[in-house]
Amino acid sequence: MKHSWLIAMRELKERVKSRSFVLMALLGPILVLGLTYLLFALGGSEKKVLNVLIMDPQEIMSGKIMPKEDPNIKYSFTNTYVDFEEFAKYEEYKPFDIGVELNEKVLSNKHIKVMYRETPSERVKSKIQYQVERRFEEILVKEFTQLSVQKFREIKQPMQFHFFNVYDPKNTDSKLSAWAGYFFGLIIILFIFLFGMTILRSVSKEKSNRIVEVILASASARQLLVGKVIGIGISALLQFILWSIIIGTGLFILRETVFIDLLDPSNFNAQQMTAEIAQASMQEKLFAAREYNDFVELVYERIQFSNMLLFFILFFIVAYIFYGSFFAAIGASMGSESDGQQYIIPIMGLLLLALYGGYYTVYYPEGPWSSLFAFLPFTSPVVMMTKLGIGFSANESWELFASLGILLGSALLMFYLAGKIYQNGILQFGHRLRVKHFIKWLKKS
Amino acid sequence: MFMLELDSIYKSFYRKRAVSDISLKVKEGEIYGLLGPNGAGKSTLIRIINKIIQQDKGFISFKGQILSTKHLNEIGYLPEERGLYKSMTVEEHAVFLGRLRGLSKTDAKESLRYWLEKFEIEAWKHKRIEELSKGMAQKVQFICTVLHKPHLLILDEPFSGFDPINIELIRKELKQMRADGKSIILSTHNMKSVEEICDRGMILHQGEKKLEGNITTLREDKKEGIFSIQFQGNMIAFANALWTGYEIVDKEVLADNRFIVRLKMRGENEFNDLLATLIPHVKIEKAEEILPSMEDVFIKEVNGPQNTSDEA
Repeated sequence: MKHSWLIAMRELKERVKSRSFVLMALLGPILVLGLTYLLFALGGSEKKVLNVLIMDPQEIMSGKIMPKEDPNIKYSFTNTYVDFEEFAKYEEYKPFDIGVELNEKVLSNKHIKVMYRETPSERVKSKIQYQVERRFEEILVKEFTQLSVQKFREIKQPMQFHFFNVYDPKNTDSKLSAWAGYFFGLIIILFIFLFGMTILRSVSKEKSNRIVEVILASASARQLLVGKVIGIGISALLQFILWSIIIGTGLFILRETVFIDLLDPSNFNAQQMTAEIAQASMQEKLFAAREYNDFVELVYERIQFSNMLLFFILFFIVAYIFYGSFFAAIGASMGSESDGQQYIIPIMGLLLLALYGGYYTVYYPEGPWSSLFAFLPFTSPVVMMTKLGIGFSANESWELFASLGILLGSALLMFYLAGKIYQNGILQFGHRLRVKHFIKWLKKS
Repeated sequence: MFMLELDSIYKSFYRKRAVSDISLKVKEGEIYGLLGPNGAGKSTLIRIINKIIQQDKGFISFKGQILSTKHLNEIGYLPEERGLYKSMTVEEHAVFLGRLRGLSKTDAKESLRYWLEKFEIEAWKHKRIEELSKGMAQKVQFICTVLHKPHLLILDEPFSGFDPINIELIRKELKQMRADGKSIILSTHNMKSVEEICDRGMILHQGEKKLEGNITTLREDKKEGIFSIQFQGNMIAFANALWTGYEIVDKEVLADNRFIVRLKMRGENEFNDLLATLIPHVKIEKAEEILPSMEDVFIKEVNGPQNTSDEA
């Protein structure tokens, strides 16, 4: 074991010192955070401040829209009408991105013309509409009712209908949760492929530069294989931990800074705006806003990170040993560094099957194929992570442990077989790898 | 007590015999030459001694005990086709291999320091292997092999890649190790080295032992009674002086009426008779019996009448 540990530590040091490890540790999380940011910002959050000119000849608005300033929209007022051509060409209107025309009958006909230079996003459209409407609301309430604005808003709240599945009142089996689990499975497959290829390259490199013979004079082939798989495995886990820390910190920073106004449920912008949009029957906007809110809720509320991470690590370690054995066996069998690449294709096929199994499970979690894929060691890591995302009831949790057990048994068997191929193939050079070699080396004691 | 004993070792790969019935004994303080053409089974035998592969039949003992993995820390092995981890520094590499051979980190570093100083290459310590030339890397490999002060050193073509100065340096070290009581198995095609430093040796061919013994004895056994005479004088007078009891094999003409003649004796004639015959006719400058080189012994043994193979 001492030899395996020494080999593992050497392997780990080499991996951690390599540029690709550092690049992956930085670029991977940045990519994930970037995608998350884009999903958060669904509906288009403008970075720049939009200048909006309110054309209000009757001065209905009294020169104000919001009690406090919107960070993305700056309102200015004019008491003249500006037509399209003037707005487009006159120098004095050039600083304005959007013009909102409040005609003289606006209080009765409720029609407002909005002109723009560049098509505003749905989110900006919603914001302007919402903010102008609320200002109108204040004016109308003051003019036509005895109520306070606050009281009026309480009264006018639309009835909110909430739909519940009696079998799943917490709506834990929503597709979004399943996708979250699938995402974890996807990461397992991604890591297995990347680090499996690392095992293959490392083994074939040692073989081609013949250092392997020096090592084998001190350690057995099995010790070398165990050391290599452990060393590269630790580097993969380290990589994952770095991803988790960077992504976790990134999500925290996003919540605390960039999306602070949108993520706080008590915040007027997020909740009220959604309600207002719903009231206006703007289905598309509602959908966009809902989707956005669902994703936020999924990331910050719905995913049970501790549970997911625990099983992620368990499934990852066992699946890594399972698939890593294939890669090690191929690496040890190669006659030269370029030989044997064709045998990676079937492994890639199996990894893709695992991804398909997970995808299938998202849509048919109770389907017959889903049950099969859940226990098949090739596919179970992704399928089980997807199912874990959906959630297990107490009487189903045995499936999780049974699947993990089958995967562990298969991994140990694969490791044993790979060890035989490794032992017999590692000192064979110059041949062209064929299936018969695997069979021959497997049969040999 | 022998450092290493091999008794009737047999190994085959998929019904193809690699080595058959090989026995040998290596004494303490001895350099043992393992000779043979490519594919003779030398590497297989060396791998068996290093426990990299397992023999099918036969026994190996090390210092009187059945060879086991615990003895590997007392063996140093430099394979013919050797590599190093290119991204590691010389020190990292040496410490890694030293620790695999049972040294502590401190001892490995201390031993490395000793060898770097000895070879006057202290500046290489923190260099990455990929920065070294082939010759420099070979030197590092040699150091890594002897770092843990092995009692038995197995060197497969240790001189390949070295310039003559470094070959001499390594030879000197090997002789010193022998003087210190260590045993060395040297597998090489460099017959000059075998003649110079090996005490005993074995010629392997097609997995079988062809010859074994003291290097000088092996050469003596193969001598053909050829003598070399360097003289000054008349070549015709020289030829006339020799009666039918001698056969001239070849001659070489030197400057100033001087010649080197190689001749074979016939019948019962001896070296003294030859000298007595020649002294009255020519001025003899040098006379010696020619022993075949190890290369001649090797070629004859491998290309003997029973082995008309293509491995010359």
